[in-house]
Amino acid sequence: MRKILLALLLVMLCASISFSDSAKIGMLIPVGLDEAGVREWTEKIAELEGKSEIFTNENEIIFYENLTSMLMALQAGQIDRIALSSMPARYIAARNENLNYIDNHHNAIIGYSLAVPESKRAMLMGINLAIFDMKADGTLTRLMRKYMLELGTNDPEPVTMPVFHGEETLKIAVTGDLPAMDCILANGAPAGFNTAFLAELSKRIKKNFELVSISTGARESALTSGRVDMLFWTRSVYNDKGERMPFPLDNFTGVAISEPYLLDSRAALELKK
Amino acid sequence: MTLSDILYKILIQGGSYWTILKGLGATVQISLFSLLFGTILGAFVCMLRMSKITIFRFCATVYIVILRGSPVLMLLMLMYYGIFARSSLEANTIAIITFSLNVAAHVAELLRASINATDYGQIEAARTLGFGAFQAFRLVTLPQIITIAKPVYQSTVVNLIQWTSVVGYVSITDLTRVINNIASRTMQPMITIIIGMLIYLALAYIVHGLFALSDYIQARKEREAAA
Repeated sequence: MRKILLALLLVMLCASISFSDSAKIGMLIPVGLDEAGVREWTEKIAELEGKSEIFTNENEIIFYENLTSMLMALQAGQIDRIALSSMPARYIAARNENLNYIDNHHNAIIGYSLAVPESKRAMLMGINLAIFDMKADGTLTRLMRKYMLELGTNDPEPVTMPVFHGEETLKIAVTGDLPAMDCILANGAPAGFNTAFLAELSKRIKKNFELVSISTGARESALTSGRVDMLFWTRSVYNDKGERMPFPLDNFTGVAISEPYLLDSRAALELKK
Repeated sequence: MTLSDILYKILIQGGSYWTILKGLGATVQISLFSLLFGTILGAFVCMLRMSKITIFRFCATVYIVILRGSPVLMLLMLMYYGIFARSSLEANTIAIITFSLNVAAHVAELLRASINATDYGQIEAARTLGFGAFQAFRLVTLPQIITIAKPVYQSTVVNLIQWTSVVGYVSITDLTRVINNIASRTMQPMITIIIGMLIYLALAYIVHGLFALSDYIQARKEREAAA
């Protein structure tokens, strides 16, 4: 009996030891893609960029429901890197002395858009026009500088949403999991680039916005159930001509997405050696 | 950055303590109401479960099996994003309904086990002595059920407080959600989560303390009655 138990223990030990030298990459759980889907996605990205230094097919992808658990996994050595886009990665690296920001100078290909249910596609027309205007008059660049690039180690300033009496109010989901785009201040108020963008959008399309805080893992359910009218930071892929590629990172069905309000490059974070 | 700087950033800066208190308030509110409604519903389900009518017994058994066997997060998401998606009910109300349903299944089984553990002969003896059915239940069975059920009920209360930590999925900013937000903002997940755990631990000890206090009061009353 003792021998059988010892043999079982040995088998369990062997099973727990990984002989693979592939890296473990953590990422915030995408919508509509499983781990195998993300591996295929990274292959397509490598093809698009003509290089595959960081994310290769051999790497093991591990999903996390929120930024906190992903950072804890990195700091505990359970994963080797965190995959994010450049601006959130810079924000996190600036606040963590023990993290290295890895930038392989990829092109800006991750586009962040607003997502609405297909049945509300018409709503996007005005939003897209406003985004084009904000790009053309430099508003988006100004907001990006103020709320992300020039933030240093400070928290983003809170933004007051304009109120239009008698106008429709749209509910939009925030998660706090993608600072400094989407973060929540000490007083519980949503803040960051996304809210600043939304305040500007609200002024231009004359609609009220109500921010609803939800978990990253519940974003799809929140949108498809009608609990929120829109989602922030829906991630798609764009080529260097600005054309949307048919392999988004957030692979929704029955959802229409806006023009990207932010294009960012891929980056990663790792523990300092 | 020193530990005191980190603690200041997590607990004080920008009114963080107030946000934590509000999150704690949401957790306590959902737990308290769920416990109240869940206990009442649980007693009713227990009654059906012990009924002599087969269909009532069957329905109660199915209810208990489903509710005890499914993760409360799944139930919560089903209620919020499915069944009540088009209703005007607030997220807190839906969370209270969900947790009440879940607690009721546990309480029903807990009460049934406690009732089964009491000696039926005592009821018969009480009835022989002229007690009415309700009087016999109130004066003979109920005190024993309470004594038997109390330790497990205490665990159910503590478990319920911990189960509510998933309400962030349905747009409620409870203690866990606040702790996660603070961890994302301060980039100090380890210390923030330890603080969160200590707050939950304090809540659990308050529950233990309340039950210990009730035991003490009961024992004192019994001593006074005996004297």
